[in-house]
Amino acid sequence: MSNLIEEANWKFHWRLTESAGIMIYLADFRGHRVLWEGSMPYVTIDHQHETLDVEQDGAETHGPWWVPLGTRSLQGPVRVQSFRGGVELSASFEAGPYHYTQLWRFHDDGRICPWLTIYGPGVHDQHTYHPHWRFDFDLDGARGDAFERFEDSRWQRVETEGWFPYGGEADEGGNVWRQVDFGSGAAINIRPHSWDDAEVFAIRYHDGEWAPFSPRNAAGSATFPAAYVGDEPLDGDDLTLWYVAHVHFDQSFPYTAGPWIRVEGLA
Amino acid sequence: MANRGRSPKQRPVARVAATKASRPARRGREPDVTEADPTLFDPLTPGEVADALRTLTEDRRLGSMAKVGRYRIICAEPLVVKPPHWMAGHRLARVVAYDYSTDRAVDACIDLDAGVVAHLELSRGQPMLSRDEEELAIQVAMADDRVRDKLALGDMPQMTMHYWGRNPQDIAFARRSAAVVFGRDANHSTLVAVVDLLDNLVTQVVPAELW
Repeated sequence: MSNLIEEANWKFHWRLTESAGIMIYLADFRGHRVLWEGSMPYVTIDHQHETLDVEQDGAETHGPWWVPLGTRSLQGPVRVQSFRGGVELSASFEAGPYHYTQLWRFHDDGRICPWLTIYGPGVHDQHTYHPHWRFDFDLDGARGDAFERFEDSRWQRVETEGWFPYGGEADEGGNVWRQVDFGSGAAINIRPHSWDDAEVFAIRYHDGEWAPFSPRNAAGSATFPAAYVGDEPLDGDDLTLWYVAHVHFDQSFPYTAGPWIRVEGLA
Repeated sequence: MANRGRSPKQRPVARVAATKASRPARRGREPDVTEADPTLFDPLTPGEVADALRTLTEDRRLGSMAKVGRYRIICAEPLVVKPPHWMAGHRLARVVAYDYSTDRAVDACIDLDAGVVAHLELSRGQPMLSRDEEELAIQVAMADDRVRDKLALGDMPQMTMHYWGRNPQDIAFARRSAAVVFGRDANHSTLVAVVDLLDNLVTQVVPAELW
């Protein structure tokens, strides 16, 4: 199967990684570069305890764990399928009682859906999933970009790297964060799933600062991608965005996490 | 979110200028980001993996690691850097290893065109488990009497997770650890055994419902 797909106004490449699921790279929409690389570096899982002790309500006595989504946990082939108005890739991964289907859907109107369907029972009911997506958007070229968040009823420019949780405010399209390109005026809009309890880390791009093959940093240090966040300026540079969802398991699973992404302003 | 365990100034590939003159890029013209060569993202061939690992273990900075031989290769995957970085257009491999003799992660960028280790970083970070470590953790857990005593008929290893403790009292807080989950089928877990991979010892045995 070719790893180059040209369909629905998109042209992109994909490959299965060792730990970051299906990676999309060099994606163009209507002939314009949109994405250098996008992947899902890790899905961590926390467990909570049910207790009658008020002081330990929902206590997490154990730390997080994770298993790579990649060649070792893939179930069956990566599937490429057309749908009305677009094309999608999907792959199923399984690690014991944790089951996932990763999706990349590309719509002909410029939408991208990098999603993860989570199912399987886990080791018990009280657990929370934290899927992490990493996006290196290169809107019409790598540099000359800025990051904005919707806050106080308007889009506000973010000057330096940081962590930006969804605070309940969104524009009329439901978008909470966006990356804008100065030259073309184009934008990448990011709309979280209402139940994702999502957050975005906006980090200045650096070569080699790619999937670190683990969220685990040195003992006592912040995990990745938080550990990448410093105080470097973002305005006018090349950015990397991490979208992190926090999904508590419940009986209504399966649940599909992940943002809607819409490319806007490219001719 | 000011807390950061790794300074963003320790940016990986930016510190490799010393090797720049080793060999020119295989393409004459430095490509623009919109003209990147998609073949650079292709999975490494077995030969490229072997080449990368030979180059890494022959680097004198890792002489001790190679000599002692208590390391695990975690992963070897292609790495692609963007223009205007001088290595843009080069065929690069990112190799991550864990050196048990020094309890360090090894994160290296190998320039396969130049045949050099273009970047090397040693840290206390914990990369994912290699497949060998996953298997080893199962073997250690299966050999432990406390685990065997608690396994019921039909319980089998379901998976091995990369695990770390939440607080400093937990041995897995600072030491490389795996959690082996046992169960009767993929949807019913019964037991979790935490394995310290430095000493190959089971440090916790917890019924799955209490994890």
